[in-house]
Amino acid sequence: MLKMHNIRKSFRTDTIETHALRDFNLEVSEGEFVSVTGPSGSGKTTFLNIAGLLETPTGGQYLLDGQDVSGLNDRERSRLRNEKIGFIFQGFNLIPDLNLFDNIDVPLRYRGFNAKERKKRIEKSLEQVGLAARAKHLPAQLSGGQQQRVAIARALAGEPRFLLADEPTGNLDSLMARQVMELLEFINEWGTTIVMVTHDPDLARRAHRNIQIVDGQVSDLHQNALGNEAATA
Amino acid sequence: MLEIKPILSALWRNKIAALLIALQLALTLAIVSNASVIISDRKEKTARPTGIAVEDIITVNFQPVSQNYDMQTAVAADLDLIRPIPGVVEATHSNHFPLSGSGSASAYYNQPSQETGGEVANYYQVGAEFIQAMGMKLIAGRNFDPSDIQVADLTENRESSVVIVTKQFAEKLFPEGDALGKYIYGDRSSHPIEIIGIVERNLGGWVNWSKAGNAVFFPEMLIAEGNLFMRYLVRTEPGQRDSVFNQLEEKLSQRDPHRVIEMDTIENFLHKSYSRDNTMIKVLSVVIGLLTFIIALGIVGLTTFWINQRRKQIGVRRALGATRAAIGRYFLLENGMIASAGIALGMAAAQIANRMMVESYGQPQLPLPTMLSCALILLIVSLTAALVPALRAANISPATATRNV
Repeated sequence: MLKMHNIRKSFRTDTIETHALRDFNLEVSEGEFVSVTGPSGSGKTTFLNIAGLLETPTGGQYLLDGQDVSGLNDRERSRLRNEKIGFIFQGFNLIPDLNLFDNIDVPLRYRGFNAKERKKRIEKSLEQVGLAARAKHLPAQLSGGQQQRVAIARALAGEPRFLLADEPTGNLDSLMARQVMELLEFINEWGTTIVMVTHDPDLARRAHRNIQIVDGQVSDLHQNALGNEAATA
Repeated sequence: MLEIKPILSALWRNKIAALLIALQLALTLAIVSNASVIISDRKEKTARPTGIAVEDIITVNFQPVSQNYDMQTAVAADLDLIRPIPGVVEATHSNHFPLSGSGSASAYYNQPSQETGGEVANYYQVGAEFIQAMGMKLIAGRNFDPSDIQVADLTENRESSVVIVTKQFAEKLFPEGDALGKYIYGDRSSHPIEIIGIVERNLGGWVNWSKAGNAVFFPEMLIAEGNLFMRYLVRTEPGQRDSVFNQLEEKLSQRDPHRVIEMDTIENFLHKSYSRDNTMIKVLSVVIGLLTFIIALGIVGLTTFWINQRRKQIGVRRALGATRAAIGRYFLLENGMIASAGIALGMAAAQIANRMMVESYGQPQLPLPTMLSCALILLIVSLTAALVPALRAANISPATATRNV
């Protein structure tokens, strides 16, 4: 699903060049649930941005679903993001002026679906996260956990093959965090590949595989129990 | 795909700022469209053909020092002196100067002994060469000849039996179009005055008069005893006016130094007559320019403010699949919707304001094409003003979505 080979990313100011990722190599198979951990400033977010086509690497090769994305222009990258990748952000990143229905509608409009198709998908995804009755509510009228579920519904509505989650439980209490994590596990069971950046070792352990990034490189790979089970299954 | 509904939802929740810009646009359109009508009306007015050779005519006004002055002899001597000057086309005497802001008017009738139902006209008492000296076009009938000239003073009634009139006046008094050869009569007078000629146009003395263009010319020399003065009109070849001007002053002073001579040009009179109109055109043009500039600044400011407020949201939209073009289009559409609402409101306000101005100040009516043109220009200004911030928004990186600040 995702294959990164010798990915480099550096940021340059007038005097300093910072290497966020150095010779970064990673392969994620279809249907996997991979957690990414590492200390602050290790390059987790840069990895996530490159994986999600939000930033371009300085060097190296990145294949997403078998397609080399290095030479794609903005329009092609936007289309790929829209069609293949779902995003879940730490701060939920819902649009405060739009109700839940319209928030989920945002990526579907960019996809070019007609109104009927969009409505069907929005209702289905809200159903999946248990918020069908709140479609006309504004994000501010929901709890943090509910907002994150809406964000997940927005990510799911486009039926992406690949879900990128950036600290999805970072702003939630433990109960909400558990509910969100369970939801992600369900989604993964339906076949969606998930890469989740987290600081929480307990959550990281619940993924099939945990990758630790230190100083812009993959420093450690752990096959978790669930991963073994999945592999065995 | 146009995001009209989400934009409307977002605008509804930020309605105060959107409403302020829409109201500003509405007010601007109401002012700009009515100001445009006034400008257009004033331009049309100042561009009216005068019917005379404005740029080539010198005016001379003199008053003798002596009260026992032989005006008739002096006029003949002066005109004999002026006509041979190189560059002079023709010279004549007149009681008033056209376009000067001064003159006399009286009512005339197509029947004798009338008091009502006539037509008011600027009247001139002029020399036989007046038509040529003014560069007017005689479109029907004949010109004066020297035998037509009557000498009159202020104490006696004019006894002219012939008159040349403007086409405008002729059509008003004789709507059938058969004025030539007909007779006109002064107020309560039974003395018939035959229309012997019709000139194409002459605006008369007062350009702001509602009946400007109604003018009649009598072949008379007015000698006002006790208040002696005389006026000449001297037409030159094109481009010769200024050189003739200097010679004229010198020669007239030399011929008779015992008189006060004032000289000017018809072009100068015209500029003075239209000075208020020209000032109005300039002031309103500046107002239009300033208002348009202010509304453009307001839109740039508001759009930039909104974009800065929504940087994260833009990053999220980009992350969710919006192309740069889609982001730019979103902000242009948002601005276009505010502008359209403001313009729709402004069109209604413009009509109301115009109705009040027509009723209270006699201003011209606001034509629909003018209002639509102003609306279109304001819409273009609004979209252009929003373009730069919208392009900046389009360049916001999708990675902004994952940044915590």
